[in-house]
Amino acid sequence: MSLGVEEVRRIAELARLRISAREETTFASQLSEIVDYIDQLREFDDGTASLEEAEVASDATDNDLPRPTDLEDSALLDQFLDNAPASLDRFLLVPQVKATPGGDD
Amino acid sequence: MQPTTAEELAATIRSGERNAVDTVDAAFARIDEVDGSVGAFLELWRDEATERAAEIDSRRDEGLHLGPLAGVPTALKDNLSLAGHELNCGSRILAGYRAPYTAGAVERLVAADAVPIGRVNMDEFAMGSSCENSALATTRNPWNLAMAPGGSSGGSAAAVAAAEVPLALGSDTGGSIRQPAAFCGVVGVKPTYGRVSRYGLVAFASSLDQIGPLGRNVRDAALALGAIAGPDARDSTCSEEPVCDFLKPIEDGIEGLKVGTIREVRTSALEGDAARGFEQALEALARCGAELVEVSVPLIETAVATYYVLANSEASANLARFDGSRYGHRAANARSLGEMYTGSRSEGFGPEVKRRIILGTFALSSGYYDAYYGRAARIAGALRQQFAEAFEQAELLVTPTSPSGAFKLGERVDDPLAMYLSDVFTTPTSLAGIPGISVPCGLDSRGLPLGLQILARPFADATALRAARAFERETGFECRPEPVQ
Repeated sequence: MSLGVEEVRRIAELARLRISAREETTFASQLSEIVDYIDQLREFDDGTASLEEAEVASDATDNDLPRPTDLEDSALLDQFLDNAPASLDRFLLVPQVKATPGGDD
Repeated sequence: MQPTTAEELAATIRSGERNAVDTVDAAFARIDEVDGSVGAFLELWRDEATERAAEIDSRRDEGLHLGPLAGVPTALKDNLSLAGHELNCGSRILAGYRAPYTAGAVERLVAADAVPIGRVNMDEFAMGSSCENSALATTRNPWNLAMAPGGSSGGSAAAVAAAEVPLALGSDTGGSIRQPAAFCGVVGVKPTYGRVSRYGLVAFASSLDQIGPLGRNVRDAALALGAIAGPDARDSTCSEEPVCDFLKPIEDGIEGLKVGTIREVRTSALEGDAARGFEQALEALARCGAELVEVSVPLIETAVATYYVLANSEASANLARFDGSRYGHRAANARSLGEMYTGSRSEGFGPEVKRRIILGTFALSSGYYDAYYGRAARIAGALRQQFAEAFEQAELLVTPTSPSGAFKLGERVDDPLAMYLSDVFTTPTSLAGIPGISVPCGLDSRGLPLGLQILARPFADATALRAARAFERETGFECRPEPVQ
């Protein structure tokens, strides 16, 4: 299937990405080619196996081991906050979360 | 003269014939000499590496035990955490980020007394096959500086090939260790999924990502894998399976071992003289005493398509964390949380990362989920089953690592699909979770290296290494790229 500019824009918005008009056109043509290539998978999929049966590769080696949940102290708070674009005391600072009338969120 | 191996460096440092400090100095001198043209390194940790080396020397002088990688200068891919050091994952979005802790594999490396000396270039978020998607630097293939080193661990492969370091760590999601190893004429190991802890590795596609070593020969790669492999409670996908000694059986040869070629890997699809390189590799395996058999893995043809759906679906979820709130780049003057997310991501990510996030988001979106993600997951399950059946007829499987030797820088940057197709032989292994090693198998007519990929059953990494070593002994490949001699 081919992806149009509209569709690329809609998916980019879902992924919280803003792309330029030029990128929209380039991406639409490149992604259409990629999705066309991916569509060859149709002829190999009889659709009988359920998703639960088709585990992802991490299960191939049967080593997805649960472990007991133990609470541990993390002494890393300062280092984590050092990486924050903005922080105050022990908190991350971000723009206002609450929606404003007419705002985009 | 051939550069000294990691194994020999460690042995002579342990015995006192050589000092770790001199060894690290020599590595920095070599980097100063050639990295201006190769461009593998993003940052060097001169002071810390020298201190660590001095500490190793003094422990030796006190008669204390030194580890198997004593004093071996090692490069780290820019997605592996070393506490206190910057890590960018080849991306602008992580500019200024400092790792708050050390990756499990790097901890083990350091516990084995290796000396991390710097971080090396990669495609942004490990998405790419040429290192050209790095937002930070251009890395060149030491064999021909107009050629790509491969990717995404292009910096790791180039640094080892140019003899800047004897060892490097990389990560492999769909071929990112093996393909650059092949392009640069070095040995690259993607271990069994779960063999090496991924704690402290920046996630790309968590069901496929695996850390592994690149070295100038098979023994060095085996030595390094032995050092970094093993359980880690901080990575729930890391296996409890005991780690065997990879070096002990490595010289045992492969007399009588059944080695399978895959019927569906059509040598007619190989570019240039890669087909001849593969045929000659099979002859060498036969001379080693391997019994060549043919097996069938019909779904191998679907691997690239399957891989790009699954890997990018996972990536679209994993990369959601880069939103400007906790670390990395934040867009200036955002008036709302949404504006901050969108602005930070749009400014911070490069085009390939955006393309892949969009593709992954599409494959997971309502109305397309079953037709894309669901179908790919079903096919991956069936492919894995076919590999298991093939391994009932052969102990090991072999393919070319890549359909061609290195391509030119710039040649495929505008054609993402052509770039993806260079992973045609490496993605099946990743989907199956099995180990894969790329070992050099000669040069093409342009004088560029080709790689042979050796695959084994889950946790039979040692068998693949033993075969790679037998092959290496038989073919006697020497990594001596002319432009950096």
